[in-house]
Amino acid sequence: MSKGVLVDMTKCFGCGACTVACKLWNEKKYDEVNKPTVGEAAQLVDINWTVVSKHDVTDGNGDAAWRFAKKQCLHCVDPACASSCLVGALRRTPEGPVVYHPDLCVGCRYCMVACPFNIPKYEWDKSFPKVSKCQMCFTRVVAGEQPACIAVCPNQVMQFGDRDALVREAHRRIADNGQLYVNHVFGETEVGGTAWLYLSDQPFDRLGFKTSVPQESLPAYTWQILSKLPAILLGWTAILSGIYFINKRRNAAAEGKQDTTGGPQA
Amino acid sequence: MKTKSKNGPSCSRRFFLKGLGAAGMAGALTTLSGCKDAGKPSGGEGWTPQQYNAPGSWPVQVRGRVPIDPHNPSIVRDDRKCILCGQCTEACKHVQSVEGFYGLPIKNDITCINCGQCALWCPTGAISERDDIAKVLRVIGDTRLHVIVQTAPATRIAIGEEFGMPAGSIVEGKMVAALKLLGFDRVFDTNFSADLTIMEEGTELVNRIRAAAGGHGESGHGHAPTALPQFSSCSPGWVKFCEYFYPDLLENMSTCKSPQQMLGAVAKTYYAKKKGIDPRQIVSVAIMPCTAKKFEASRSEMNSAGVMAGDPGMRDVDFVLTTRELARMIKGKGIDFVKLDPQPYDSLMGEGTGAAVIFAASGGVMEAAIRSGYFLLTGENPPESLYNLSAVRGLQGVKEASLTVPGFGELRVAVSQGLANARQLLDQIRADKQAGRSPRYHFIEFMACPGGCLSGGGQPKTSVPPSDWVRKERLHSIYTIDAKLAKKRLSHENKEVADLYADYLGKPNGDMAHRLLHTTYTDRSGQLTAKNKA
Repeated sequence: MSKGVLVDMTKCFGCGACTVACKLWNEKKYDEVNKPTVGEAAQLVDINWTVVSKHDVTDGNGDAAWRFAKKQCLHCVDPACASSCLVGALRRTPEGPVVYHPDLCVGCRYCMVACPFNIPKYEWDKSFPKVSKCQMCFTRVVAGEQPACIAVCPNQVMQFGDRDALVREAHRRIADNGQLYVNHVFGETEVGGTAWLYLSDQPFDRLGFKTSVPQESLPAYTWQILSKLPAILLGWTAILSGIYFINKRRNAAAEGKQDTTGGPQA
Repeated sequence: MKTKSKNGPSCSRRFFLKGLGAAGMAGALTTLSGCKDAGKPSGGEGWTPQQYNAPGSWPVQVRGRVPIDPHNPSIVRDDRKCILCGQCTEACKHVQSVEGFYGLPIKNDITCINCGQCALWCPTGAISERDDIAKVLRVIGDTRLHVIVQTAPATRIAIGEEFGMPAGSIVEGKMVAALKLLGFDRVFDTNFSADLTIMEEGTELVNRIRAAAGGHGESGHGHAPTALPQFSSCSPGWVKFCEYFYPDLLENMSTCKSPQQMLGAVAKTYYAKKKGIDPRQIVSVAIMPCTAKKFEASRSEMNSAGVMAGDPGMRDVDFVLTTRELARMIKGKGIDFVKLDPQPYDSLMGEGTGAAVIFAASGGVMEAAIRSGYFLLTGENPPESLYNLSAVRGLQGVKEASLTVPGFGELRVAVSQGLANARQLLDQIRADKQAGRSPRYHFIEFMACPGGCLSGGGQPKTSVPPSDWVRKERLHSIYTIDAKLAKKRLSHENKEVADLYADYLGKPNGDMAHRLLHTTYTDRSGQLTAKNKA
């Protein structure tokens, strides 16, 4: 069963425990000066697989409010990064996490171009760089444990479970508390669905979410064209070959005529 | 060329190319066969504390950490040291009843009373006070500035621990000597302004009681609130807690500033005038057992001296250092603290009584107020029994006492330490008030930290969580100073405080006193959705 996570952003008060859990579990370096993990300047970079970004918003009463958004790889159900990878270094696992295998990576960085959410980062300051992104604690998930960031959350902002059940749970919460949440589960249909699902009381674009992404899976989108490529290639080859042979024969015939009329060549 | 190739091993051009091709093919096949095994995915080689590593999605009992605003004036956190042990949350939630006592989603504030107990509980030192040592060293180094410093009652029985001395060592004189060696121009005692606080707060209490009895306070200020019980206002963590969670009871809060802020305001007015120093040249530093004092000094209304001097940007207290910061500063200068010869505090604001030093202990403000309150009500010094009011001493969460004052009647008081305990009293008072019942107490002392200031968030770290053993040692020393070492034990007998009133302030709760020594509070309930239970 494919796993997912339901994030309720109204419950986050920005302690950043999840970002520390990620660093501890994945042995990522800390650089709070240049690459902060919590706050207005927080950004996903090579050493930050997850961040909590702070946003100034207006709450339901029209008062100024702060909201925190936990960001990481959304683990698409049909990931464009994996589809674009030439060597299969990025793979979606049956459990849900989209994982990166550094031993296979040739460093082409197509995944970075392919990702609709701009998630994979490159270790630019290393001599032998690799791509870097959240693995959804794959080894923990396989062992039946929840990802580290979810386990440490003091407010249980995140719920880990089967994605299908979480989608139902998200809609149940919206139905139960419609005056709080906006009526949208981010990740349910975005780019064909993602393992991470979000609930919010704010429009998602105000919390730094990319809402302009297509609703269908990106690999499926490209497949519409790519699937026709073999036929096009073969057909085009056949046509060009045909033209070539016709021309060749015509030339040969013309040359034969010339041979009979003209003198011997040197 | 030709002869050389004849001598060398024979290798035809064809054979060489075949070999090259075969090697390339083998290489390609090996590489491709490697793709079958994708290798280890990246990540997952670190650790998290044991409670987080269990199958299933069960909620973890002790988890996460407290949120800390990066702009918090009191405390900071270094993520590199955080191990997510969850102890800060335990302290915040169960000792202080702050985290968990507000609804989510949050508003535009990270609820924090700045008490710093989380810093005491943090086993790795990830949470610590905001370090202001560099700023203080800079002003000390500027010869144009007149840098004064005050030391809180609780610092003198704790800072010795940072230098290997037994818990509770009384090191008042050594601390003063160290401060003079560090280059402070004058070393004053917050005990002086604690006595001043008792004069103001005691007078205010008498006025409130008289107003409640239908009369008018003798020297009452026009707008002074009259609600009973009166709450003590010395603990800035407690004050902010009340502003967050019990704003309806702010009229019960004494309008007196805390001793730190009183000394700050007096230093840049009275002291400046007496010594002929431009208040703008004075930099006022406070050494406190408290991280909330950093927040208190930064409160916008704490600029009475500046308002008086026509420069509202000037702060009454410019920098606050915790006891731990002072210890680091002394160590940084290579001063052998233990070997220092004791030195006295400087005059004008250096005298303090035993009643002032017990401010450091939970119940101390109450005991000091009762001693002088008795005097204010009866005109006579209190009987011997009021010099050892054991009912309000000790480490119990809530303490009560009742005493009979001749000519007045029964005076009922309560003392609370640790804000989770404070809620018991506050909920009761709120219910009484809503039901229109007459107040069951006249005066309540609230201290944010368990044990009072002696175990404040800025004190030397002890065991994790802080142990009562060390609290008791410090407590014992505080009452030893009061009973055995102090020359006077009554705030109203402080000569320098009497001089201050005679020369500058007029009378307690008078107009000048109100301008400099009293303050206002902010209803902060709009910054959170308060809850009664976690």
